[in-house]
Amino acid sequence: MNTKAQRRRALGQILLLAAGFSVLVAISALSVILVHEARKDSGKVVHTVEVENQLSTLLLQIRRAESSARGYLLTSEPRFLTEHESATATILPDIDKLTRLTSDNPVQTENARQLRPPVEARLAEFARAIAFVKRNDLAGGIAMLREAGAGDSVQKIGELSNAMRAEEDRLFALRTATADRTQQLASAVTVAGSGLVIALLGIAILQVRRSSRARDDAETQLRDNNINLETTIDERTADLREANDEIQRFAYIVSHDLRSPLVNIMGFTSELEELRGDIFKRIATLARVQSATPATADNATDSAEPVLEGPDKQLSEDFTEALGFIKSSIAKMDRLISAILNLTREGRREFEPVRIETRELIEGIVATVAHQAAEAEAQIRIEPLPNIVSDRLALEQIFSNLIENALKYLKTGVPGDIQVRGRTKLGFAIFEITDNGRGIDPKDHQRIFELFRRAGTQDKPGQGIGLAHVRALVRRLGGTLSVASELHNGSTFTITLPINWTIRNRNTQS
Amino acid sequence: MSNPVTIIMIEDDEGHARLIERNIRRSGVNNEIIPFTSGTAALKYLFGKDGTGLVHKGNALLILLDLNLPDASGIDILKQVKDNKYLKATPVVVLTTTDDSHEIKRCYDLGCNVYITKPVNYESFANAIRQLGLFFSVIQVPPAAT
Repeated sequence: MNTKAQRRRALGQILLLAAGFSVLVAISALSVILVHEARKDSGKVVHTVEVENQLSTLLLQIRRAESSARGYLLTSEPRFLTEHESATATILPDIDKLTRLTSDNPVQTENARQLRPPVEARLAEFARAIAFVKRNDLAGGIAMLREAGAGDSVQKIGELSNAMRAEEDRLFALRTATADRTQQLASAVTVAGSGLVIALLGIAILQVRRSSRARDDAETQLRDNNINLETTIDERTADLREANDEIQRFAYIVSHDLRSPLVNIMGFTSELEELRGDIFKRIATLARVQSATPATADNATDSAEPVLEGPDKQLSEDFTEALGFIKSSIAKMDRLISAILNLTREGRREFEPVRIETRELIEGIVATVAHQAAEAEAQIRIEPLPNIVSDRLALEQIFSNLIENALKYLKTGVPGDIQVRGRTKLGFAIFEITDNGRGIDPKDHQRIFELFRRAGTQDKPGQGIGLAHVRALVRRLGGTLSVASELHNGSTFTITLPINWTIRNRNTQS
Repeated sequence: MSNPVTIIMIEDDEGHARLIERNIRRSGVNNEIIPFTSGTAALKYLFGKDGTGLVHKGNALLILLDLNLPDASGIDILKQVKDNKYLKATPVVVLTTTDDSHEIKRCYDLGCNVYITKPVNYESFANAIRQLGLFFSVIQVPPAAT
């Protein structure tokens, strides 16, 4: 799984959440607006109903005034007169109220305004009829009212009120429809929004499931990889160990088998040397016999060198020289073979981790090299050192090699100053052995750790094994060895070793 | 030596064999030395045709043995000699290049009487062999068991 796909998925999830959120916000906003709208619509509907109601009330009052006026005309009872008066008293305010209510609609305002004159006229007619009755002219009143009943104002009132009612009916229908539509819209929006949210939720669940499945797959793969990796490491470690053992065995056998012919070479060279003695003794004797000198030397012992002259002497010297080279080469080869044998033997030795008082150990080494140190006029200073758990013999070899080297390669004529320091860092003990000796050219810093390689002036005996051996030991102890040095300016060898070395450490690192 | 002890030298390297013989002679030991350059030939001689070692009944033998033989392991020969009822009292001197402490211990465990590492330095080598010769001239070798 690549990072691009992961990023895309993360982005998709964020977008999904954002979409869901915005849908919710939109739905809420729309709902609020629509509810507000609906309230307004229903308010208008109520208003229409109110106007119609008012109109009905007005007409009712007019009818009440009319009927009470008629009642008065018929019976002349003051009860009707009071009723008439109470009815007429509300009519004009009712018209005013109607006008106020219809102020939002110019058509209705006009109608209401037009309604006022005929109503006033009608009221005046009633008043006149009642005045007739009061003057006891009952017949005149009735006649007047009859005449007026079929008159203009009644018809006008009827027409206007019908018009108004029709208008209000139209408005009612219209507004009801609007309110219905608004409500339908609101519910549609809610339904759509809910649907959308549910859909988004579905997608989100799907995505979560997909990503969790992907994570499970990744985990499984990781686990498999880990197991594979461990197996691979185990296999490689086993291979390496086998290869290492093989090399050890090889080195051992080779160095062993090389030794056998060397014994012969050396042995027969020595035999040759003895033969040489015999041959030249005979040559000398023969020469003497030829020159007929008195054989005074004849009774010389076997071991005495024969006295030779001229070319014979030259021959003898050449012989000796050749034999000398052969012998020194054999001796050198023998030392190398022994070194390899010792190294392979070291490589096969099992290390045993024990608690080591480092200072005590180094003091022991310093005591053994005290004679060399005194000869080189060198002092060895030991600073406080951390104690570690490691293999004692290996540690002894490491430090004694380095201290001996420091003593061996001091500058002639300069008193030696060798310092052993130590500190700890992150579970490792770091030891430094610093000298003021002849130093090592930086280009030789790697070389000096190689087997049979040496650097600098070759004026000291040695096979070039010490540092290679030390490095091998330090590595086996799970540490590192490095050098910091300049020619003529002393050297510092730094050994880093685990403070707590166990067999397991080595197994994991080898 | 008081009784005629035969020295059996099992050494694959003829050069070594020659040097050993010479130096033994130089130390004044004049016993018969029978050299073998292979383990098989040596075993054949030691155990005879019937493979029981009966042929050497009553003979006094001394075995000089090299461990690194091409056809047989010296250890193996040592084991067979020490397991044989006629030969087991025969002194065995292991003379080899191997100086591995495990190997040395193993040889002694198996009944080897002397273990000598061949020094490369000829002086030491010659010296060692001469001393061995002196040793031969004083030790008492029992005849093979009856």
